[in-house]
Amino acid sequence: MRAFRAGFALELWIIRSNPDALMPLFTAPLFAIIFMAIVRQSGRPDLESDALMAPVLMTLLWVALQHAGTLMVGDRWQALLEPIIASPTSLASVLLGRIMSLMCFGLLSFFEVWAVGKLVFGVSIPFEHPVELFLTLVCTALAMAGLAVTFSALLVMTRNAYTFTNSTSFPLYLLGGVFVPVAILPDWIQPVSSILFVSWSSDLLRASVNEAPVESFWPRLGMVLLLGTASFAIGRVVLHYVLRRMRASGELAAA
Amino acid sequence: MEAVEVEEITRVFEPRRRSGTRVVALDEVSLTVPTGEIHGLLGPNGAGKTTLVKILSTVLLPTSGKARVLGHDVVDETEAVRPLIGIVFGGERGLYWRLSGRQNLEYWGALYKLSSREAKERAQQLLERVGMADKADERVEEYSRGMKQRLHLARGLMGDGKVLFLDEPTTGMDPLAAREFRALIGELRDEGRTILLATHDMVEAEMVCDRVTLIDRGKVIATESPRTLGQVLSRFQRIDVEGVPLVVLDEIRAIRGVASVTAVDGVGTRIEVDEEGATQLVLERLVSAGATSVRTSLPSLEEVYVQLIGERGMEI
Ligand SMILES: Nc1ncnc2c1ncn2[C@@H]1O[C@H](COP(=O)(O)OP(=O)(O)OP(=O)(O)O)[C@@H](O)[C@H]1O
Ligand SMILES: [Mg+2]
Repeated sequence: MRAFRAGFALELWIIRSNPDALMPLFTAPLFAIIFMAIVRQSGRPDLESDALMAPVLMTLLWVALQHAGTLMVGDRWQALLEPIIASPTSLASVLLGRIMSLMCFGLLSFFEVWAVGKLVFGVSIPFEHPVELFLTLVCTALAMAGLAVTFSALLVMTRNAYTFTNSTSFPLYLLGGVFVPVAILPDWIQPVSSILFVSWSSDLLRASVNEAPVESFWPRLGMVLLLGTASFAIGRVVLHYVLRRMRASGELAAA
Repeated sequence: MEAVEVEEITRVFEPRRRSGTRVVALDEVSLTVPTGEIHGLLGPNGAGKTTLVKILSTVLLPTSGKARVLGHDVVDETEAVRPLIGIVFGGERGLYWRLSGRQNLEYWGALYKLSSREAKERAQQLLERVGMADKADERVEEYSRGMKQRLHLARGLMGDGKVLFLDEPTTGMDPLAAREFRALIGELRDEGRTILLATHDMVEAEMVCDRVTLIDRGKVIATESPRTLGQVLSRFQRIDVEGVPLVVLDEIRAIRGVASVTAVDGVGTRIEVDEEGATQLVLERLVSAGATSVRTSLPSLEEVYVQLIGERGMEI
């Protein structure tokens, strides 16, 4: 817990001194405008809140992949990885804390798209299920953080981390049902999607901002948490393996 | 119990690309550092000092051999080793540049499991101790090299480690700061800590260490008392001089203890001395001959090695 807190505070300091990581907060409202425009054009008011939720998920995923995922790469380049590894704290928990810090900022995108909907298009998200909405957002952020730990560990081993994150984000948006519900994707994709917490998150998020009651909310939220925890667990294992390998090869230090 | 035991550690770096070469950074290195000792690890660039320090700090695995810190194996018992050690790597990197010195330290305190109050207190104490209290809240990117180095040192002490590994900790410090640093090393030892200090600075090694292990190209050459090192340093001197008549140089060549007199490009004449007291005679003669531009300097580490090795009849 102390490690988590240390990571959380560290990232807050870093963001405060260098707000680059907040870039997606500029793009989220723009995406919201684009998606809303499309939905309006096709005359589907029933899809309006869906259109507003897509940029929120995109922002969270973007932050998880682009920023959180490259934390270790950055530390390695600044020769920080070795002293951190030599400390008695588990790197995975520190990373999780740092990523959650970033996620908290990512969650601000929800308020942005809400404002865009209201001010630009005059639609208001129906807050019929505030508790469900809140829990879905929080658990999604947690699960994203778990996923980002895995990415962080994998990316530090690749030579071109940025190409990798760029080429993974779009497939993830698709498979995660970020733009459109997974249900309308081809059948063979469904099993792949259903093991991704993102697809559960996006369905649940859409359900929470619609007027109809949210069906089997708790089991679905449980899936988000379960799959998110699993990604963190996988992240820890991958991290352990990666660190061992790097200690053997001498690659913890950037040349 | 010995603070550090190294038994025949070898570390080979395999080439990362096909065109690369295999490097044997450490070749069956053994050494022991008793608790409470300041032990120097002296060697020229590429000798393997950093490699050994990294193995002992658990961030690099040896290819073969064993090493223990306070009885714990650095490969199999990393969880026992890590809370016991503090590390200071030299250089400009290794700090969060966008954060202040204080923030860096507080973060490190948390990594060493201090509560946030303890971390704040210790950060303040250490900032004062390394003379950085007035700059504590400026961003690290605004620090000079020497200031970064002091911060590195403070960071290495945040965890209150019983065994400290310092790798070139005075690079970039001005002479005054380096002197304060050496005093600090003494205090740390008086607090019961053990210190392994990697350096290529002979004078530093001689001044602060209880014993010094000389390494070169991955092999231990000798473990000496700093006194032996000091004797070598005071016996072997180098004098560079310009515009001295040849006759005078001939006279100097005849002085007992003058090893060589040679013309060196860009320097003028270089006189090398290998006996105590000879330097003085040479300098007196040069001054009486009216030479004004005279500089004395210490021999290089390599030259000292050659001398030590020559005296012992060893081979590299
Ligand atoms: N991570 C690495 N990968 C490949 N080779 C390495 C690595 N680290 C060190 N080496 C090589 O091992 C040898 C010893 O390097 P090391 O850094 O231990 O020397 P050093 O005594 O600390 O030198 P310096 O005084 O320059 O710091 C060098 O030839 C170096 O190139
Ligand atoms: Mg070195």
